[in-house]
Amino acid sequence: MAEKKSVIVRVRRQAGPNERPHWEEFELASRPHMNVIICLRDIAERPITRDGKATSPITYDSNCLEEVCGSCAMVINGKARMACSALVDSLTQPIRIEPMTKFPVVRDLSVDRGVMFENLKRMRAWVPIDGTHNLGEGPRMSPDTQAKAYPLSRCITCGMCLEVCPQVNDNNQFIGAAIISQVRLFNLHPTGAMHARERLEAVMGPGGVADCANAQNCVQICPKQIPLTESIAEVNRQSIKQALLGWLFG
Amino acid sequence: MREPKIIVVGGGLAGLMAVIRVAEAGVPVDLFSIVPVKRSHSVCAQGGINAAKNTKGEGDSTAQHFDDSIYGGDFLANQPPVKAMCEAAPGIIDLLDRMGVMFNRTPEGLLDYRRFGGTLYHRTAFAGATTGQQLLYALDEQVRRFEAEGKVRKYEGWTFLSAVLDGTGVSQGICAMDLKTMEVRTFPADAAIFCTGGVGAIFGRSTNSVVCTGSAQSALLQQGVDYANGEFIQVHPTAIPGEDKLRLMSESARGEGGRVWVPQRPGDNRPPLQIPVDERFYFLEEWYPKYGNLVPRDIATRAIHKVVFEMKLGVGGDAAVYLDLTHIPREVLDRKLEGILEIYEKFLGVDPRVEPMMVFPGMHYTMGGIWVDNEHQATNVPGIYAAGECEYQYHGANRLGANSLVSCIWGGMVAGPASVKYAQGLSKGCESVDVSVFDRERRRQEQINQALLRQDGAENPITIWKEMGSWMTEHVTVVRHNQDLERTDAKLQELLERYKKINLSDRTQWSNQTLNFARELYNMLILARVITLGALARNESRGAHYKPEFPERDDPNWLKTTRASWKNGQIRLGYEAVDTSLVPPRPRRYDVAS
Amino acid sequence: MSAAGVRADHSFFWRKLHSFSGIFPVGAFLAEHFWSNSYALVSVAKYNEASRELQTIPWRIFVEAGAIWLPILYHGGYGVYVWWKGKSNVSQYPWVGNWMYLLQRWSGLIAFVFIGWHVYTERFLTQGKSTFADVDKALANPWYFGFYLLGIVAASFHLGSGLWNFLCKWGLAATSRSQRAAGYLGAVVAVVFSVVGVAIALSIRYHWRPFEFYVQ
Repeated sequence: MAEKKSVIVRVRRQAGPNERPHWEEFELASRPHMNVIICLRDIAERPITRDGKATSPITYDSNCLEEVCGSCAMVINGKARMACSALVDSLTQPIRIEPMTKFPVVRDLSVDRGVMFENLKRMRAWVPIDGTHNLGEGPRMSPDTQAKAYPLSRCITCGMCLEVCPQVNDNNQFIGAAIISQVRLFNLHPTGAMHARERLEAVMGPGGVADCANAQNCVQICPKQIPLTESIAEVNRQSIKQALLGWLFG
Repeated sequence: MREPKIIVVGGGLAGLMAVIRVAEAGVPVDLFSIVPVKRSHSVCAQGGINAAKNTKGEGDSTAQHFDDSIYGGDFLANQPPVKAMCEAAPGIIDLLDRMGVMFNRTPEGLLDYRRFGGTLYHRTAFAGATTGQQLLYALDEQVRRFEAEGKVRKYEGWTFLSAVLDGTGVSQGICAMDLKTMEVRTFPADAAIFCTGGVGAIFGRSTNSVVCTGSAQSALLQQGVDYANGEFIQVHPTAIPGEDKLRLMSESARGEGGRVWVPQRPGDNRPPLQIPVDERFYFLEEWYPKYGNLVPRDIATRAIHKVVFEMKLGVGGDAAVYLDLTHIPREVLDRKLEGILEIYEKFLGVDPRVEPMMVFPGMHYTMGGIWVDNEHQATNVPGIYAAGECEYQYHGANRLGANSLVSCIWGGMVAGPASVKYAQGLSKGCESVDVSVFDRERRRQEQINQALLRQDGAENPITIWKEMGSWMTEHVTVVRHNQDLERTDAKLQELLERYKKINLSDRTQWSNQTLNFARELYNMLILARVITLGALARNESRGAHYKPEFPERDDPNWLKTTRASWKNGQIRLGYEAVDTSLVPPRPRRYDVAS
Repeated sequence: MSAAGVRADHSFFWRKLHSFSGIFPVGAFLAEHFWSNSYALVSVAKYNEASRELQTIPWRIFVEAGAIWLPILYHGGYGVYVWWKGKSNVSQYPWVGNWMYLLQRWSGLIAFVFIGWHVYTERFLTQGKSTFADVDKALANPWYFGFYLLGIVAASFHLGSGLWNFLCKWGLAATSRSQRAAGYLGAVVAVVFSVVGVAIALSIRYHWRPFEFYVQ
């Protein structure tokens, strides 16, 4: 293998939400096991572009660096990726790094995913408990139910399923697979299921489950391999049942 | 009656639990967090949460949990709060279960428990190998529910800068900065609970998240909040080295039967699975027959250091040992450990189900932290409370695995009501404080920002941070020598000098992460000194603090809590007695039965 | 968008009605239509007989309007709205499902235009008395013939892929295994409908009657 001495990185930069984006190119010293986060840190340590112009460090979201906090999702070489697990050796150079396109840009690669948390609120994505005082053990649950629910509860709200979804765009306020999957999760829990109707009514609202058009990109991109299309189908089934039976029998 | 007002800083497990408890009491609460709370570092906790529920018929009890924790912490922890925590733990598990945490189950539909380090009982409830994530989400969801009901107001994307203290030294609120607009603002509150987590960034690379800088703790110290046992830093035995971070490989890997070994012959470069079992050195099992691979973390870490640096038996001559799961059925691994195996696979491109993992110890946790009293999580400054990893109270000189999640949640459970009680007991609250008190603090913080933005020098904050990290990792982690500690402190002071010449290379007032990092860096340097000076002073070996020059625990001289305080701009170390009223200290020997 | 300010609407109902109407009655009618037109593969007389049979059912205009025209109009019209609400990114993410998503929209549009033209020429211009000779004349034009082939394949694909979508979106195939099976089912439907439809068009244009021996 030819020895690669440097890594070329192109970053789409944007000083603020309403500023015009532009590209900057950087040349970094190549080391083994580099990921995109290390590239961005290198730039912060020496914020000089490839053509020698001084610039500012790049603003980006990151936290855990092991793909469990969901912060560092961005578009790398045209595809939504978690920057921490995007290993330089596996990327074609120059590496193009852009912010996700389905969320408002704050600055550079940092985006505002607040809408996802708002939608979790709208979907009442929680198990309503009576209080934190001692009320004994929780409901029993079969290992099978746990095995079904656990993968759903690993969703890191990274937003990549929204990023790749053709139904999420300026004309459509689709809440996206991650949120729908949470509806399924809470409807699976014995206590959560007592309030399934509220959640189903919410998910039948605007931008809800009916806006899924089955492109199934979400399940392809999900970094946690959550069976998102199964969740959507299941929530569809539950809400159709709710709509029909609710209409017929109240 | 006046309506009290509480602020919680930090949205990990401790912070969220505190918020829930305050909201439940019907008191309005503002929650500040650098990242959206769902992205807090608690998500990284993997293996599980301890509670002596004794569901396996082993005769486990909360008393045994308490004893294991005190013994594991080498008798440095004040005992009554640890006892209270261990007694509360089963109820905490029940609560989490009711909140919908997807814990692994037994065939009967009960919670399953696994073994963890420093105990002989199955005491650790777990949700796959992403327990911290599951717990954090459960609490996050409860807080979101209160938020929807208007009982909680979140300030996500804000960083804490300082407390607002009135003329009598009582906290009346906080000063924080919006990381988007860079606006500095003060928020009045009768009490503020700090749940600001770990200090990993001080060591450059650690298993901690980016936000775990200890900056808030350091800022509080510089305002008069004492800091205890800073020198007790846990180095986790099994982490995956990386340039950006050390990725944790949970103790649960060993709890489920994972074995640590190196080739017996130095320089044996055969692929691991071609090395016959009788040519492998299972050093933990050999040296600690009773606990085997599940000795406490400080013990395992020192053993690995010995094997690698003294015996020169590191894999391929490098700083690495094998953590081997290949003998465990794939189905079991996927059901119980998938989350961590996935990390190894993604970041190293090797499937740990078929090939032993290569791991090495990495900085993981701080036992030390903000000093709090034994009952209320209250600091020495009225109106300031602390809970979670950022305080010092529950783990003594070494934390047992899976005790951190329980201590975070318990700390939050205590701090919430305690702060409410304090606030309700005030005759005059923060609303009666003169506005000039808040203005003064805001201006002081704005001036720090302005000075940093104006400053023109040749130093880069990241470079200084990296230097601090490598010095701290080399000299203030597993093995400590006084001479090196002295040199490290001198180096830190040099870095503080150089800090005066840092150049931000970003002078904008919008989402300027460099400015925020520079502010954190200063606080990290101060706290690094607290850690180093504490280690330098403590001439004994206890738990995670190990000095070859003083290899034994020295109870007559050092069975005491280090209490660092800030006097006239200087760090001063004081000491106070440890409450050992419940379990008399005994020698800590994991190589023979306890 | 602020999620808190979202107002309830009936989009769920309209959207589900859209996917359902594609199967029933529109898909069902397509099946019936291909079935009765398949008499062209037997003989002109049988074809005209079958046509006449359908053209003389009681309540014809109401059945046509209620079971065919309105559902197709709704399915097509709402389909255009659905198209407007989606934004394909197949160049960035060229996965099979994403291609199907894109093709579903184009095939729907093509089929909708074709059906509009087809109904106009064969139902209205013939005053509802279309015979083999009328269709034969139309297909003699190579452009019309080409359009027929395109329309038939587009409609068939749209039905097959739509069936897959329907099974997923009504939660009838809710595991990844059943969804894969539903995908195969959709593919079979698309292929079978395309083959039958194209065979009918070929039969009429080239007077090719492979089942003529039934009546000989």
